Amino acid sequence: MPNEDKKMEQRVAAHPFLQGMDAHQLSVLSQSAAPTEFEAGQIVFQAGDPANGFYLLESGRVVLEARQPDGSSVQVDVVAAGEPLGWSWIFEPYRWQFDARATEPTRALCFSGILLRQHRHEDLMLSHELFKRMCQVMVRRLQQARSMLVEQQKESPK
Amino acid sequence: MNQPERPHDRPELEARVAAHPFLLGLSEHHIRLLTDCAMLTRFQPDQKIFRTGETANRFYLLEEGTVVLEAVTMDETPVQIDIVLAGGLLGWSWLFPPYLWHFDARATEPTTAIFFYGTVLREYCERDPSLGYELFKRMSEVMIKRLQSARDRLSEAMKMNKPERQ
Repeated sequence: MPNEDKKMEQRVAAHPFLQGMDAHQLSVLSQSAAPTEFEAGQIVFQAGDPANGFYLLESGRVVLEARQPDGSSVQVDVVAAGEPLGWSWIFEPYRWQFDARATEPTRALCFSGILLRQHRHEDLMLSHELFKRMCQVMVRRLQQARSMLVEQQKESPK
Repeated sequence: MNQPERPHDRPELEARVAAHPFLLGLSEHHIRLLTDCAMLTRFQPDQKIFRTGETANRFYLLEEGTVVLEAVTMDETPVQIDIVLAGGLLGWSWLFPPYLWHFDARATEPTTAIFFYGTVLREYCERDPSLGYELFKRMSEVMIKRLQSARDRLSEAMKMNKPERQ
């Protein structure tokens, strides 16, 4: 195996989101992975752009922002090192719903959704594992967003 | 607590599981597995379906009616955070530890639902990844929509509360 492939497999295997995946699954994932880096303030993706994959953050921090009609942005979530970023590649219309921006120097693995979609049906165990883990993160984020919403509604002028 | 109806009529139960929009397109085999874990249940208007902090070992597919999700606040005035309509899925907390409901769910009109025992279903999914894949895929699709809607409402509320924000 070329040295670079091996390095990528090690990075993929070391990510907390993929902990417990077997060697075959990690190898398939590595084939769809590319290393990426973002500087502080750099846009990772923009709402409306085609969503072709997802990111696993290795270090740094990314905020999700909703752009308002008046041009301002409201922060709706924070994604920290060790977490996945981006769901919109899974379902139609395959476009990002929010802006994602790195707030500090950030290293991430970028996974091609197209490559993963090809494997999805032939490798059900991998798909099951991926979707299960994504659901787990989504539940947490959903509960967080709803709790924040409750806080905001309590604050709102009656 | 509402008493679930006994699944004395397996073919009828199986047909109702297969007919639910959330499960459309699943194979007969998957429908049979799901029916193993399914029970029919009804709620009256204003009836609590689950309460914050209680054990979450199940989820519901609504056939008819409407359910609201509410957060109980310190002053006891519930804040409505979401609404689940007929054809929708209610309850995520059974999926992952600590398996406790995060909010209260209350029927707002006569509601019929199929409920599924999560504990059994989780085992089925581990043994049959094709079932796990189908279910989690569908669930993540619903969750993404709810998450996006929660975030949209959140950004709206934050803007309203902080009009001076740039």
